[in-house]
Amino acid sequence: MTNKREGMVTTTRQKINRRDFLKLGGAGLAGAALLGVAGCGGGGAGSGNLIFSMGPDDPNKTVTRLIEKFNQQNKGEFQVTYRLMPADTGQYFDKLRTEFQAGGGDIDVMGADVIWPIQFAAQGWLKDLSEDFPESEQQKFLPAPLAASTYEGGVYAVPWYEDAGLLYYRKDLLEQSGFSAPPKTWDELKEMAQTVTEQTGTPNGFVFQGANYEGGVCNALEYIRTHGGDVLENVTSGKVIIDSPEAAAGLETYHSMIADGVAPQAVLNYTETESVPVFGNGEAVFLREWPGTYGDIAGGQEYNLKIEKVGVAPIPVAPGHQSSSTLGGWTMAINAQTDMPDEAWAFAQFMTSEESLKWRAIEGGYIPARKPLLDDPEVIEATPIIGLAKEILLDNATSRPVTQFYGDMSLEMQEQFNAALKGEVSPQQAVETLQKSLSSIMQQAD
Amino acid sequence: MTTASREKKGRSRFREEFADPERRTAYYMVLPSLLIIIIVAFFPILYGIVLSLTDSTAAAFGSFIGVENYVEMFQDPDFLEGLSNTVIFTVVSVTLEFILGLCIALAINRAFRGRGLVRAAILVPWAFPTVISAVMWRLMFQDRIGIIQYLANAMGIISEPILSDRTLLLIAAILVDVWKTTPFMALLLLAGLQTIPGDVYEAARVDGANVWQRFFQITLPLLKGAILVAVLFRTLDSYRVYDLFWAMGARELQSLSTFVYEGVRISQLQFGPGNAAAVFIFVTAFLLALFFIKVLGMRTSAEE
Repeated sequence: MTNKREGMVTTTRQKINRRDFLKLGGAGLAGAALLGVAGCGGGGAGSGNLIFSMGPDDPNKTVTRLIEKFNQQNKGEFQVTYRLMPADTGQYFDKLRTEFQAGGGDIDVMGADVIWPIQFAAQGWLKDLSEDFPESEQQKFLPAPLAASTYEGGVYAVPWYEDAGLLYYRKDLLEQSGFSAPPKTWDELKEMAQTVTEQTGTPNGFVFQGANYEGGVCNALEYIRTHGGDVLENVTSGKVIIDSPEAAAGLETYHSMIADGVAPQAVLNYTETESVPVFGNGEAVFLREWPGTYGDIAGGQEYNLKIEKVGVAPIPVAPGHQSSSTLGGWTMAINAQTDMPDEAWAFAQFMTSEESLKWRAIEGGYIPARKPLLDDPEVIEATPIIGLAKEILLDNATSRPVTQFYGDMSLEMQEQFNAALKGEVSPQQAVETLQKSLSSIMQQAD
Repeated sequence: MTTASREKKGRSRFREEFADPERRTAYYMVLPSLLIIIIVAFFPILYGIVLSLTDSTAAAFGSFIGVENYVEMFQDPDFLEGLSNTVIFTVVSVTLEFILGLCIALAINRAFRGRGLVRAAILVPWAFPTVISAVMWRLMFQDRIGIIQYLANAMGIISEPILSDRTLLLIAAILVDVWKTTPFMALLLLAGLQTIPGDVYEAARVDGANVWQRFFQITLPLLKGAILVAVLFRTLDSYRVYDLFWAMGARELQSLSTFVYEGVRISQLQFGPGNAAAVFIFVTAFLLALFFIKVLGMRTSAEE
């Protein structure tokens, strides 16, 4: 009897009474549910809010601070909410597309990669800005990104900030080996790379982004265009003309970078993330990259390289041709379904105003898309790359062949360019394959 | 028994089921869950099949075009590459995982000090989300900072960057998958091993059976149920591989599922073949499972 009682007492002491446990559990769940509702309730878009979507802000928080300034000016009328999007532009693009396909979504203004406006406009998802953005205003912006924002007579985005492919080089190493100026032609580049790596012991001659992704297309197009070829007759429209001896010659040079040992074989899977540290840690003589890298190196925090040793030059050419840099950058676009069109335009205008662009260039090093600002001494001082790269941006930056189906075209080009670089297919085969596949894609657009 | 009486037996059995009020209530009880399963599981599959017979895109529903999507799919070199990669990957990795998993299971089947700890420890690779371990391994295979690339170069077996060569990349993916899921196989097989009574081995030893005879004539046959379950699980999982190939290969490595993803999400014109490939995966996976159950005799219920 005693044992039994002892046994029972032990049991009740060790476990919580089932009823108490259920009570605690129920209270916990109710509490969590209330918190969840409270949390959700605050974040929804009210009717007085303008939603602006963009990828992550830079370390200087230039976008956030500009939005705050705008909200100060418009206090009481409406406020802008910054909706954060993925850093990977491919994912950001997918998200926007999903929202548009579902019927508009609630984003009013979006920061759009320069290759998006035409693709979205073709589906009727963007607002035509021709009324608010007349020719006289358009002239103040750089021609290339403006052209990339135009579709069938309407203009669907305002250029915001710019990127173009540049050749970075080690001034000190070149001088050491007896070269006083950067290479003007691809052959000169190869020669210099080989001489300098031999004489100075630098591990790599030339690094670039040759992986099977959008950046690979940007790189390869530079080779094709500097040899006199192109993908489409009129850059963003017209017949497919990639099957030409010039384009094949360009891809031949592209492939020779690895074949002649000027670039390491690993560039076949290099994106910006892999290639920049090679140059930034002093292990390469030449680098092809976007302008932002200059600021990253100058900042002195990420890489060992001192900025005084770095020079910037236009992309080399085949003799007798003009240099060409692939255009990158971002624009401001407005959702066709927005229920606050005037406010949206006010915000887009603010972000692309001379004042905001100049401030952002000085604070964050972002190259403004307005022509006059490229001559502004304050801007040049803050972002030295503008002075160095003005000629490149104005004259040589060419858009990718962006059309309604650029996504599919890019997939084809990514694969073929990477295969040509690897030597899996000959340049002739690559351009022939692309001629067929790109033509069939362009046909679907009609 | 004549055909007529067998038929009548069938019909009367049916009536028997529903005549009994208790059994009828049971069916009514199951009906809600059955409806939910039909809506959530069957409807999307049927919708997908219907879509694959039209020329729809992600934006708009199209018109009926019969099996054109399937024809286009079978002619697409990317699809064929994905199919061959997936089949090779499935066969090789499941075989390796099975052999290694069985060895591990046999090794930790006997009681020893720290056995509980070892069993918990070997599960660690399985516990990591695949994407994270894939990216981690990719870093190790990188040409500049990768330890494996460095070791391979130093030992002289490989001279080119592993990530740039499709074959080497596939081999690397297989090895990573084996690293990740051998513990899962090992634990499933261990559970099976533990149901084998010890006295069977006693009797065998008394009869003079050696280690190999004990293994092949006692362990394997008694383990058949667990082996089939484990192998079926792993085969179907490997067949649908996506995250490992996508995260490790960064678009270089094609599998059936990455083909579907590219077609349906990234491309705008490849929606039809991508959708057809999804249906293809579903049908072939279903046939695989059927093969295991019917032909190899996998037991699906306790009463048979």
